[in-house]
Amino acid sequence: MEKSTIKIRLKEKDGQIWLRALIKHPMETGLRKDKMTGLDIPAHYINDVVVEANGETVFSADWSTSISQNPFLFIKFSGSKGDTVRLTWKDNMGKSDFIEKTVGKR
Amino acid sequence: MERRIFLKDCALASAASMAFSTGLLTPSIAFAEEFDPFQATSVDAVLKILGIDEAEASNRIKITAPKIAENGASVPVIINSAIEGTSEIITIISTNPKPLAARNRFGKGAIPSISSRIKMGQTTEVIALVKADDKYYSAKTKVKVTIGGCGG
Repeated sequence: MEKSTIKIRLKEKDGQIWLRALIKHPMETGLRKDKMTGLDIPAHYINDVVVEANGETVFSADWSTSISQNPFLFIKFSGSKGDTVRLTWKDNMGKSDFIEKTVGKR
Repeated sequence: MERRIFLKDCALASAASMAFSTGLLTPSIAFAEEFDPFQATSVDAVLKILGIDEAEASNRIKITAPKIAENGASVPVIINSAIEGTSEIITIISTNPKPLAARNRFGKGAIPSISSRIKMGQTTEVIALVKADDKYYSAKTKVKVTIGGCGG
């Protein structure tokens, strides 16, 4: 199996779940040029991120090229240990990935 | 004879590429710009496409960002909203080629706070727009980007 592009950490604190995620992605703006060939590097970026807890969407975002390479995300939402959290991303080239994890488990 | 055809083809090909590079492609880009806020190239255009006429300045929105960023490729920005009923936080980096950076929507049970890293091409204003009960609130802060990393 290929290694997931998403690293996720979930922590429960006072009835809140703290989600920290790091996604591996180039986030090309489409404004840079290849130094070797002088050709434009096409834009390649994540434009859709969704976080679901127990099947319900708690957070969704539209991103642009202004988000940094290998995006980092930190959000909080109410929940408890044992909740299943799922993070999905999609990019402008039709690629996508997701990760699913249960709060409180390693 | 063959040479003549070859020359003709060359002329056609170069004419076509000229047309592409100079102007033929722009109408489609302009068309997209009218509807997609992410393609807009100015803050005013972003607000217009999003349909935001008025945003009340609010001190209940807190933007945490460095005053001076040494590396514009990755600037940590935290936006917190203490406004009740916050459903959306929009992040705009005013001097970026495409200013709209992100639209973050919060569902049931989510705390309206977002922390992420954003690219900034040059010294800029970070504008946070918060949507709460169909009303918009705004806050902004300035980030100085020093490319050399030597301050200044």
